[in-house]
Amino acid sequence: MKYRNLHLILLAFALLGSLGALQFFSPRQVDHPQNLNRSEVLFWHFWGGADRSVVDDVVRRFNESQEQYFVRAVAMPGNNLQAKLFLSIAGGDPPDIVNQDDPIVGDWGWRGIVQPIDQVFEPHEMDQLKKFLYPAADRLGRFDGRLYAICNGIDVRALFYNETALRQFDLKPPESIEELNHIAKVITPPQLENPDFFGYLPDSRRLWAWGQAFGGNFYDFDNHQVTLTNPGIVKATTWMAQYGLWYGSDTINRFRQGDQSLPGKTFPLLPIGDDTMIGRYVMLMDGQWRVRDIDAFVKRRRERNLPCPEFGVCPLPYPVGGRPDAGWANGNFFVIPKGAKNPSGAVAFMKFWIGLKKPDEAAQTCAMGGWIPVSPQVTAAAPFQDFLEDRPLFAEFVRLASSVNQIPIPVIPGAPMFKREVDRAAANTMANPEQSVRGILEKTQATIQAKLTAIRQEEGR
Amino acid sequence: MVGFVLLVAWPFAASIYWSFCQFDLINPPRWVGTEHYERLMLEVREGRGFGLALQNTAYYALLSVPLTIMVGLFLAIMLSWKIRGQAIYRTLFYLPAVVPMVAASVLWMWLLDPQDGMVNYMLGWLGVPSQNWLTQPRSAVSFESIGVLSGWMAGDNRLLLFGAKDALVLMAVWAVGNAMIIFLAALGDVPESLYEAATIDGAGRFRKFWHVTVPMLSPVILFNLIMGLIKSVQTFTTIYILSEGTGQPADSLLVFSLHLFLSAFSDLEMGYASAMAWVTFVVLVVSTLLLFRSSKNWVHYSSR
Repeated sequence: MKYRNLHLILLAFALLGSLGALQFFSPRQVDHPQNLNRSEVLFWHFWGGADRSVVDDVVRRFNESQEQYFVRAVAMPGNNLQAKLFLSIAGGDPPDIVNQDDPIVGDWGWRGIVQPIDQVFEPHEMDQLKKFLYPAADRLGRFDGRLYAICNGIDVRALFYNETALRQFDLKPPESIEELNHIAKVITPPQLENPDFFGYLPDSRRLWAWGQAFGGNFYDFDNHQVTLTNPGIVKATTWMAQYGLWYGSDTINRFRQGDQSLPGKTFPLLPIGDDTMIGRYVMLMDGQWRVRDIDAFVKRRRERNLPCPEFGVCPLPYPVGGRPDAGWANGNFFVIPKGAKNPSGAVAFMKFWIGLKKPDEAAQTCAMGGWIPVSPQVTAAAPFQDFLEDRPLFAEFVRLASSVNQIPIPVIPGAPMFKREVDRAAANTMANPEQSVRGILEKTQATIQAKLTAIRQEEGR
Repeated sequence: MVGFVLLVAWPFAASIYWSFCQFDLINPPRWVGTEHYERLMLEVREGRGFGLALQNTAYYALLSVPLTIMVGLFLAIMLSWKIRGQAIYRTLFYLPAVVPMVAASVLWMWLLDPQDGMVNYMLGWLGVPSQNWLTQPRSAVSFESIGVLSGWMAGDNRLLLFGAKDALVLMAVWAVGNAMIIFLAALGDVPESLYEAATIDGAGRFRKFWHVTVPMLSPVILFNLIMGLIKSVQTFTTIYILSEGTGQPADSLLVFSLHLFLSAFSDLEMGYASAMAWVTFVVLVVSTLLLFRSSKNWVHYSSR
């Protein structure tokens, strides 16, 4: 028995030893000899999946173009980046540049976590930036009139539709809220039990977009006041809650849960079986990244000689008093953390990525990743125009990105909490459509306002 | 010792200090006295924020811990029977406990799909209408459920009882393997002579279970109760995935651990989060002490 145990222990050690030995055979990043003469720029980002290779390609092209700096990219997909960044700053060893996509610019700028961009850019470059960026890209990085982040990719949302299905129901893409309601009701009559698909269903997380389209404002920047009860937001929320009354919140919730269960978070607009031409929705609001999903779907169907529906994209319709080409813009942006050791290297990399000096380089990146440029100059560059040529759906998103009515979540301290509370309020109104929308919004407004005021009143800021 | 001081004792002590400070991890902590504790008490009174998180956590703990112990004990007894393929059954029932939580969460999202999920399909065999599971804030054990039940008895064909928290409880019971394996080990230690004596006294299967097995396993039940309680308060990954980090639907999944995480790392309120952790720690300590004190009345140690 003793010998048997000894064998097991030896076997365990042998396995551990083998695992240790494996590291000698694993691929590792070897610094190029030329790097020794260049200063390193440590770059943290969240990109994963198919986008990772695009990021690696930008880094490679930048490094090849440089004699002064060398970027070392460290990927931190998931939710780890933020906590690790705080700890690195607290520990005095932060990265030089970070790519983020959460609404944290105002919060981090207020707390001094990131450096204002005007501290690292020359004054003439700041003027150049102002003219270079799309309005939405500029807004995403600007807090209290000062730029704290540089946007390197805009995300906008629009209405995708299954054109074949619309034609089947003798309908056309909506130009008004009434038309959108009509589409929803014709395709999925409210009295229908357990529908297989919906014509249209508002998503509570999209109040940020519909609020803008209905002419609302979520925040009064001059007086630092939350304005969830202004007419546009109340109208948009009431309109969304109305779908809960038509179809029943239980029915909507059950159907929505099915979206979560789709394999690999498939785009629910796309038909799932080979023998169907309609997905879970005929019309759905989503972002430009879904164009890639549609292209892949169409390609798959054509390769297998299966009939394929046609798809389209249109801007959000709006009521009287609303805004055209409006919506919720967010995106990815660079920040330079407090205590970064190589801010000038970070600046050089930022400029390269967004195409401030060479729009063609940025256009190549955007075409490769299927990303919306942050500047009209990059959009106009040849590589991106070539990319747009046979992608009319994507071109519509690019057009929308240039609209002044594409508005981000208010760039203020406490914005993550602001977003969370508004999302909760919208979900609550849709889950309880019989309750007073104004009442829910008033309560949420008071909660957010109290927290924002407390943040602003913190001493020493 | 150095590791203990740096990685356990220091953070433990620092969090007490931070709980009295406004602290965002980056800027130096600023002393605010008992402000955070007052806010916690206010939230408990008003049933929002921390108060709501405590309610949700309590619901989950009060249902999942006893159910896990009961199911774990039941399975352990069955798996102690000397039957063919015993080792295979033991492995099969233990497997869920070693499935990575992320994978298990995604799997359960499919299983609990209100339209096409297998759980609703199986409930259908029993004549139970489809449940909304992860999309429904209302829970089975609630006053509202009485209304739903009475409506169903009056002829309403919708019987929407089980909500998001009940789904969590179901998942906890599914992963009962750890409690089960401890019971299984303890069952082997119950002296056969006690069963023989009970048989001579004319005891049947149930009386042997109730008067021999349960008392002899009571120290292990106490252990599982305390560990289960602590584990239920720490549960995070599953809830984060199921609610996409929001606590939805309608904050019904906003449990203590998620509320703490969001406060600390999203809102950067490290002081408030530390106060929250300390209040919960005290609640857990008091609950554990009460369990220990009550154990004098129901836990039997064979050496005594």
